[in-house]
Amino acid sequence: MRRPGEDVPMIEFFQQLSNGLAVGGIYALVALGYTMVYGVLKLINFAHGELFTLGAYLGMTLLLSFGLSGILGPLPAVLIIFAMITGLVGLSGFVLERAAYRPLRQSNRLAAVVSALGASIFLQNAIMLFYGPNYQVYPEETRVTITLSVLGLDIPLMRILLFLASVLLMLAMYLFIHKTKTGTAIRAVATDQGAARLMGIDVNRIISLVFMIGPGLGGAAGMLLGLYYGQIRYDMGTLYGLKAFTAAIIGGIGNIPGAMLGGILLGVAEAMGAAYVAPAWKDAFAFLVLIVILIFRPTGLLGERVADKI
Amino acid sequence: MKKIFLICLGLICLLNSTALGAAVKIGLMAPLTGAYASEGADMRRIVELLAEEVNKAGGINGAKVEIVVQDDGSDARTAALAAQRLSTSGVCAVIGTYGSAVTEASQNIYHRNGIVQIATGSTSIRLSEKGYERFFRTCPRDDEQGVVAVDTLHKMGHRQVAILHDSTAYAVGLADEIREGLRKGGRTNLVFYNALQPNERDYSAVLTRLKNTNPEVIFFTGYYPEAAMLRRQMRDMGWNVPMLGGDATNNTDLVKIGGAAAVEGFYFISPPMPADLDSQSAKDFIKSYQDKYKTMPSSIWSVIAGDAFKVLVAAISSVGTEPEKIAVYLHKYLEDFDGLTGKISFDDKGDRVGDLYRLYRVGKQGEFVLQPR
Repeated sequence: MRRPGEDVPMIEFFQQLSNGLAVGGIYALVALGYTMVYGVLKLINFAHGELFTLGAYLGMTLLLSFGLSGILGPLPAVLIIFAMITGLVGLSGFVLERAAYRPLRQSNRLAAVVSALGASIFLQNAIMLFYGPNYQVYPEETRVTITLSVLGLDIPLMRILLFLASVLLMLAMYLFIHKTKTGTAIRAVATDQGAARLMGIDVNRIISLVFMIGPGLGGAAGMLLGLYYGQIRYDMGTLYGLKAFTAAIIGGIGNIPGAMLGGILLGVAEAMGAAYVAPAWKDAFAFLVLIVILIFRPTGLLGERVADKI
Repeated sequence: MKKIFLICLGLICLLNSTALGAAVKIGLMAPLTGAYASEGADMRRIVELLAEEVNKAGGINGAKVEIVVQDDGSDARTAALAAQRLSTSGVCAVIGTYGSAVTEASQNIYHRNGIVQIATGSTSIRLSEKGYERFFRTCPRDDEQGVVAVDTLHKMGHRQVAILHDSTAYAVGLADEIREGLRKGGRTNLVFYNALQPNERDYSAVLTRLKNTNPEVIFFTGYYPEAAMLRRQMRDMGWNVPMLGGDATNNTDLVKIGGAAAVEGFYFISPPMPADLDSQSAKDFIKSYQDKYKTMPSSIWSVIAGDAFKVLVAAISSVGTEPEKIAVYLHKYLEDFDGLTGKISFDDKGDRVGDLYRLYRVGKQGEFVLQPR
C-alpha cells in the first residue's frame, strides 16, 4: 500500500503530531474553563470534569430529542444546540456556585476544595443514575466523517474543526478578558476582591459570571468531544478533568493562553510517548514532561507568580 | 397476663431464630458500578431470578435462599472492601466476579475467611494456580482460549501478526498465551506486541504506530469498549485490516459503541452467546429471563454467573452449608452437571473442565454470527 519514495518515519511523526494536536485541543478547551475559575477565585473546581460530561450528555439529548437535524440539516442544528449547551451548562455552573461554593467563600480554603470534590461525585452519580452506566452514542448523521489527505497525511476534517474551535474560543476569551469593561472587572476581582468592591464592582455578580463562562466552555468542550468520538460515558469527566488540570498547570494555572499551550503540549507529549516510547507508557511520558517543566518553571510555562493561597 | 406476654415473646424469639437459621446465605460480588456495570446488572438479575425460582420451588431442603449483593465497582480496591463485607455477613459461598484483576483482589480475603468463591468471568490463569482449595470458576481459563486463538490465527493463514492488550491481568494473560502459542507454531511473525491505555477515547496514536508495523491481522485481547473504539478509529483512518478479539469483546454494546459499519467483519473468540445456547434448561431459563426483564442477557458471562449459582445449590442441597464440604463436593462429586452453558465439572484446581469456545464474526447489521467449527 505504501508508495515508493515516501519517508515513513517523517510521515509517522507528522501523523502523530496531528493525533496529538487533536487530543490536545480537547484538553485545552477543558483546561480553559478550569483556569478561568482558578484565576479569579483561586479555587480548583473539581466538578469541572463533570460539567464537561454534562455538556456531552445534554448535547446528545437535544440532538436526539428535537429532531432539529431533520428540520434544519445537521450543521445549523449542531450550531444551535452548541449555543444552547453553552447556556445550559453555564446555568448549571451558576447554580453550582450558589449551592456549593458561595456559602463557603469566607471559610477555610480546604472546605471549598472538599465541597468541589463532593459536587463532582454528586454530579457524576446523578448523570449515571439518569442516563445509565452504559456508553451512549451520538447520532451518526451529525458526525463529519470526511478525511483529508494532505501530503501523505490522513487528517479527518472533524479534527481540524475541533482544533479551530478551541483556538477561536481561546482567542475570544483572551480578548474578552483583556479588552472589555467586564473583562477588566473580572481581572480586578482576580487581583483583589476587597479593592474591587471599593471601586464599585459587584463582586458577587462577577463571580457568578465567571462561573457561567467557565462551565459553559466545559459544556461546549463536552459536546465537541461527543461529536468527535461519537460515544460518551458518565465517568469520562474524571479523566478529562485530570488531564485538563494537568494542562492548566503546565501552562501556568490562571493564565488563559497558558491553558491552551499546556493542553496542546500535553496532547502532543502523549502522542509522541505512544509513538516513540511505547503506547503503554504514554501517560508516564506525558507526566514526565509535566515534572520536567515544573522543575524548571514551577509556575508553569506562562504562569506569573506562585499561587500563594492554596 | 405477664406470663402470656412472656410466652409470646419467647415464641417470637424462637420463630425468628429458626427463620434466621434456616436461610441459606449466598454472596454475590458483582460490578454494579464502574466500567463493567452493565455486566454486573445482568449478573444480579440472573442470580436473583434463579434464587427466586429455587425459593418458589420450596428452597434448598426447605431453607430459603438469600442473596447478599455487594458492589465490586469494577475495581480492585472496591472489591477488597466488598469481600470484607461479604465475609462478615454470614455467607457460605460467594459468586463473582467478572474482571480477573478484580477477582484477584478479593481471593485471599475469601481464602482467609474459609469462604467458597466461584468466579464467573475471570479467565486469567494465575487465579487458580495459587492453591486456594475453595476457589472455583464456571468460566474457562485463558490458556484454553489462547489455544483456540492460536488455532484460528493459523487457520486464517496471516503471517504478520500484531498483538495488542490493555495491561489488565486478563488481557496480559491472554496476550502472553497467544504470543507463546504463535512462537511454538513457528508459522507467523510477531510484528507488534504492546498495550493501550483502557478507558480512553482517543486511540489514534497507538493505531498510527500499529499501522506502520504493517500487520496482516491484529489480535486485541482487551475488552469491548476499547475494541469498538479501535474499530471506529481505524475506519476513520481509512485503514481496514482483519481484527480479532478475545471473549471480553463479546458484548452487544460492542456494536452500539463502534457503530455497525465499523465493527462489521470483526472476529472474536468466545463461549456461545446466550441466544445460541441449545440445552433445554438453558432455553427455559432464557424464556423466564425474557418474561421478567423483556430483554436478552447481553453477554454469556452473566449466564455463567447463573451456572455458579446452580452448582452451589446442587452442592448445598447434598452436603449443607459447611464451606469445606461444599468445596469437597464441587471438586470430587460434581460430575457433568447440567448447567445453563453446558456440562460442568471441576478439576483439582477448581477450573471448569471442557471446551466452550467458538469463533464469531460480526455481520452487516451488527449481529454476532456463530462460525462453523
